[in-house]
Formats: sequence, C-alpha cells, structure tokens
Amino acid sequence: MYIIIIGCGKLGRTLAFELSDVGHNVSVVDSDAEKLAALGSGFNGLSVRGVEYDDGVLRQAGIARANCVVCVTADDNLNITAALAARELFGVGRVIARVNDPAKKSAFELLNIETIDPTELVSYLIRSKLEGEKT
Amino acid sequence: MKAIIIGGGKIGYHLLLTLRERGCEVTLVEKDMALCERIAEEAGTDVICGDGTDLGVLRQAGIARADVVAAVTGKDEENLVVCQIAKAGFDIKKSIARINNPKNIPMFRALGVDQTVCSTQVIADLIEFEFDKDVCRIVQTFERGSMLLVEARIDEGSPWLGSFVRDLTLPQDCVLASVLRAERVIYTRGDTQLCLGDAVLIVADREAFKEIKKALHSGGKHHAKNES
Repeated sequence: MYIIIIGCGKLGRTLAFELSDVGHNVSVVDSDAEKLAALGSGFNGLSVRGVEYDDGVLRQAGIARANCVVCVTADDNLNITAALAARELFGVGRVIARVNDPAKKSAFELLNIETIDPTELVSYLIRSKLEGEKT
Repeated sequence: MKAIIIGGGKIGYHLLLTLRERGCEVTLVEKDMALCERIAEEAGTDVICGDGTDLGVLRQAGIARADVVAAVTGKDEENLVVCQIAKAGFDIKKSIARINNPKNIPMFRALGVDQTVCSTQVIADLIEFEFDKDVCRIVQTFERGSMLLVEARIDEGSPWLGSFVRDLTLPQDCVLASVLRAERVIYTRGDTQLCLGDAVLIVADREAFKEIKKALHSGGKHHAKNES
C-alpha cells in the first residue's frame, strides 16, 4: 500500500517506521522540519515539509497514488482539514484521523471521518488490565 | 438576523461592533479567557469562551437559530473546520471564512465554504490596482474573485487607440461589456471604434485580465507617464 502519514510527532514517526518495515510505501508530511529530521537516516520513505493540507504539499507526498492517508498531528483542526482535503479533493479511498481532544470526536463523526481516539483506547486498555487483575 | 462570529481578534471584535450597529444579533466565540473578558467589558456584551470547533460551544452560542457563521480566527484550518461543522451539523446557509494564506483559497472553495475573505489577497489586489491606475484596473470582483469587471483607459499611448472592437486580439475568457465615453455608455459592437479618453469595461477572469494588461502595456509608453 502507499500510505501518507500527516504529522511527524511520536505517533507519526512510530507509525512511519512500522509501516515501512512491513513493506508499505510510506511518505510523511509535517510543517516542522525538526520533527521530520527526527526520522533520521534509518527511514527510507519520503518526507515532505509544508502546510499539512496544502494541495501542492500533498501532491509532492504522492497523494495521487496513495491508498490511505493517516492524519495524526496533535491538532484536531489540522487533522480534520487534512482528512477532508485527502478525501474530497483527491478522492483517497481510506482516511483515518487521530482525535486529540475527546470532546472534538463528535466533529469528526459529523464530517464522516474515521477516527482513532488514543485517550479512549488507552483508558480502555488500562481499565481492562485492572479489571483483569481483579478476577 | 443572527450571526455567530468565531474568533475575537481585531477582525472578530470590530465585526461584532459593526454588525451590532447594523441591528444584527451577534454572538462572539473566543478561546482565550482574558480576551473574552476584555471584549465583554469593552463591548458590553456576552462573549462565549470556548472552542468554536466544539459542537457544544456552537450550540451554546445559539447556532440553531443562526443565519450566518463567520470564522475569522488567525488559523485557516480552524476557520475551515468551523464552516464545515456549521454546514454539516447545523444546516447554516451562509458560512464565511477568513483565509490568511491565499494559497488556501482554492481548497476552501472546493470544500464548499460559501464565502472566503482573504485580506492578504485583497491588499495585494489593491496594491496592484494602484499600480495599474492609469491603464487597466479591477473595478469589481464577482463570484469570489473568479470573475472580474475591469476598466481599461484608452489614452494616447494605448495600443487599442483608434482600433475597432472586432480587430482587438482578446483572450478567450473575456467579453467587452461597454465603453464609457464622456458620460455616455456605449454598448460595444464589432464596429465600435475606441477613442481617446474612453473607459472600456471588460468582464474577464483573472487569467484573461493578466493577458489584457500585458497587451495594453505592450504600447510601451505608459510606464513613464503619470497623469495624476
């Protein structure tokens, strides 16, 4: 698969390495050059610096042939905007966005954006761990 | 009319005052608590402190009854998200977004924001307008800038001086609407001849406008001249 990762923080970076390690074609977009530099020389995918939802930047990242776009910046508005651009302007088949503020989840849902909510997930994992220990 | 303004910066604040003066019911939403308090005090109005992209906050601002939503924060993505939510969630007929980076204009349009206002673009246009004062200028823009009404002055150096309309080489996407000649309006036909002092009104898109400008400048003598 050709996957574009928007946002090169800890999550984006981890995802970039893991996906490219299992053989996917990965490109990473972030407006912060330092964050991209943190990928290091070990990353063999493409990295593009620029406004995360800019059409020129997305094109450069190869969105024309992308099967999937994952928006994992720490800014919900950025994630929504990039997700909408990928879906509406470039017709990308699969778009997944990260929810930073659980209160914002309804906005993602309203706009039909598939989400991952780390807060909810981690809380669920912790809870199930604790409850698992009890029994 | 009820309007909701998202963003309490200079633009949002003055928009609030202006709209209220015009008898509009206005609610302002701003994230920053200190700024909210200042606006509330100065404008003597209730300000909602919260995130304008939060559905709950928008509901609290009375979006259900709103006619217009104007998103004027300094962040383009935030403004876009506000407009998208207003449209998808609350069926707002008119959403207006401030755009800070002109590069984002096409995307906002493609995603269906009704109106976009880009002050950078407006100021750039005005500067261009001042520069082109004596030859060719934009009088009015329509459809968010995709259609322009352009006025071209025919002065002594103009390559169009004395030409018949049918002989002009014009770009594809433009039409000569009329000529203003000594307070008179002439609706141009092929046999209209352009005279000294005429103001030719042309409807064109931005690309055609550039080409017309180039054609008019090719006379060459304009640059040195300054009528004012």
